[in-house]
Amino acid sequence: MGASKLSGMQKQVLSLYRGFLRAARSRPIEDRKRIEMIVSTEFRHNSKEVDRKNFQYIEYLLRLGTKQLDQLKSPAIVSLSSIKVVTSKT
Amino acid sequence: MASLSTTSLSFKAPSTTISQVLRKASSSQSVTFGRFTSSTKSLRLQISCAAKAETVQKVSDIVKEQLALAADVPLTAESKFSALGADSLDTVEIVMALEEKFNISVEESDAQNITTIQEAADLIEDLVQKKPAAETS
Repeated sequence: MGASKLSGMQKQVLSLYRGFLRAARSRPIEDRKRIEMIVSTEFRHNSKEVDRKNFQYIEYLLRLGTKQLDQLKSPAIVSLSSIKVVTSKT
Repeated sequence: MASLSTTSLSFKAPSTTISQVLRKASSSQSVTFGRFTSSTKSLRLQISCAAKAETVQKVSDIVKEQLALAADVPLTAESKFSALGADSLDTVEIVMALEEKFNISVEESDAQNITTIQEAADLIEDLVQKKPAAETS
């Protein structure tokens, strides 16, 4: 099966995921591993649980995730308590 | 040097023999170096304008580590990430790991077009050549 074209919303999700991984990269190694684990778990959980046709909810989760990413990028944030972000599979 | 970490495993490949092998060996984290050098070199002779064998080998090693593949899973330049059980999230992680290893920055539009090891290696060499001062480990 050839690679399918990603939808616009899927690209947004992957872009957000990428942003989190980039932000984690600037953290000390212990923090970084924990952040990566949290982010990966949340994205994969939502990829299973969220109906990919529920566009309103996905857009809500994308906005929520973007806010949390902005917070993560801020040097004032020391820890990451919880993230709810959405993803979808090709 | 910071170590690469595999944050989670995801095997959603179609029901094929490869998929079964991957599931059976999912706990293995070992990496073999140089095992596929011979096939990689022969591939280079057959493909014009292909990336260097060394780059293809490095990409294969990183992909194997990111996807936690068993050492005996054969990878070629034409191996597709999706055929190895990678979903779109895994592919993002692979590209991020390659960026760190080769000290490059991959544009998102380029990253979304990478589906095979060869494509990743070609893009990496292109980006490395655009940064003459960049250091590659």
